[in-house]
Amino acid sequence: MSGPLILAVPSKGRLQADAQALFARAGLEIAPTGGKRSYRGQIEGIAGVEVAYLSAPEIAREIGAGAVHAGITGRDQVEETVPDFAARTELLLPLGFGRCDVVVAVPEPWVDVETMTDLDDVAADFRPRHARRLTVATKYINVTRRFFAGHGIADYRIVESLGATEGAPSSGAADIIVDITTTGATLRANGLKVLSDGVILVSEAHLVASRTMAWDAGQKRALAAIVAKVKAVAR
Amino acid sequence: MSDPYEALRRLLSDAGYAFVEPPVVHPASVFVELAGEDLRRRLYLTSAEDGTELALRPDYTIPVCLQHIEGGPARRRANYAYLGPVFRLRPGESGEATQAGIESLGRTDRVAADADVLKLAFAVTTLFGVKRPRVIIGDSALFAALLDQLDLSPPWQRRLARAFGDTARLKGFISKANGKAKAVASRSELDGASVAQVKAAVADHFAATGLGGVGGRTAAEIAERFVEKAALAQGIPARAAATLSAFLSINGTPVEALAMLRALAKRDKLDLGKALDRFEKRAEAFAGHGIDLDRLAFAADFGRRLDYYTGFVFEFRQSKAASEPIIGGGRYDSMTAHIGTSREAVPAVGFAVWLDRFGVQR
Repeated sequence: MSGPLILAVPSKGRLQADAQALFARAGLEIAPTGGKRSYRGQIEGIAGVEVAYLSAPEIAREIGAGAVHAGITGRDQVEETVPDFAARTELLLPLGFGRCDVVVAVPEPWVDVETMTDLDDVAADFRPRHARRLTVATKYINVTRRFFAGHGIADYRIVESLGATEGAPSSGAADIIVDITTTGATLRANGLKVLSDGVILVSEAHLVASRTMAWDAGQKRALAAIVAKVKAVAR
Repeated sequence: MSDPYEALRRLLSDAGYAFVEPPVVHPASVFVELAGEDLRRRLYLTSAEDGTELALRPDYTIPVCLQHIEGGPARRRANYAYLGPVFRLRPGESGEATQAGIESLGRTDRVAADADVLKLAFAVTTLFGVKRPRVIIGDSALFAALLDQLDLSPPWQRRLARAFGDTARLKGFISKANGKAKAVASRSELDGASVAQVKAAVADHFAATGLGGVGGRTAAEIAERFVEKAALAQGIPARAAATLSAFLSINGTPVEALAMLRALAKRDKLDLGKALDRFEKRAEAFAGHGIDLDRLAFAADFGRRLDYYTGFVFEFRQSKAASEPIIGGGRYDSMTAHIGTSREAVPAVGFAVWLDRFGVQR
């Protein structure tokens, strides 16, 4: 059975503009089929490719589930959204935009906390002192759990945050946060500091392929052609 | 044998354990509070209409204890048994597993209770045709007694106690003993300041950033720990580190282990006191119950990584090569103090049988 290569690209925001521009530089103009508001598109100059416009987290999920062949999304989205991401996805090519770090940040006045080991001590001591667990606001629930478990930290509770995570400590919604940062300015403005070993992952947008999707020769050729062209102009 | 589950029910009932069937669905907080975020990622979660987070039980121990507390004074003696489904998210496996087990609550003759429970676990393996299980036993009370005797600052004591059961982590701490520590250069202008000075500085900091709302860490608590950290940066004294390493490497039959623990205590002038006496009494009780001590492998560094265990723990594996326990259990004397309303600590010991791992099908 041979169908088109399904490539998922961001449907909105900065990521969409950057992806569109990079592909254009590579001579791959992405154009919606059937009008501007369509959620399907094609790439001019390469046959057998169908473009699906999705949000960045959806792209990661669909690649992991094997519903699309490949897509453009952040490494942070892949690691958060796809269970067993190393087996299900492959980061083919870093694209040089959408750079951000996922970090652990605590209130600046916590002068005694500089490392994850300090945080472990504080977390373990927190419940006896305050009759509740230390709370962590984040939208990166899975990334946070893996990282904290790797540092032997179990005494905490995640408070799911759907936006403006950096404001959680000042509003009292949580004690500390795990969030993305680019320059650290927003964190500083909210009185937060990043732990010295608290950078969980350094992320940027990638061309990501699905390992769970069934691939035929034509689809592989189409992807190889895209990778070759984008590689020549990326970064 | 017609129905292996029925045979198991008979075995546990005849031993004096009454079968109970607590609810499957509980508020998620019960499990999260007792076992930590680590178990939480294995919970099947759902929510009630009012948004309360609910979870399918990941084990029976907590639900059985809850039911016990609701049914009357926590201190009363009771022997419970169970058999049914438990639910844990496991990558690549079915999340539903069948568990059986027992919980013995309220027995103050702890050593005899430990022996009764271990003997019953042996009977379960015999019932299912496992002739030579590998049985590992441990005792976190010994480690706690050792920490008490070592020249350690309180924050180091707490750190080491918490890491028990995770030997790689413990060894990491020990390797950073005096002299070998990479100087943790704290670059703070507050270095060397008193608790009061640090507290004032932190309070200013809170005011300037608008942080430090109600219920969070206080300036006093931060200042105390800041000053205490100087002790942490020092690392573990070299002598204490040597004793810890020697202790953690002790393993053998209970008789061999006892001799090694005694020799270490003598060499390093430690008083392991009641913990060592209880270890010896427990071994005697095992022998008195007809358990062949040579079948038990004590490991000083063996602990089960669940918050609620407090002392004697054990695991049965199919064979020497097997890595997963088929039976796991131990003493959890502080669980009842953390749940329910009475907040009373009651002696408790029990085990859980992973029936699926035995390959037992009904």
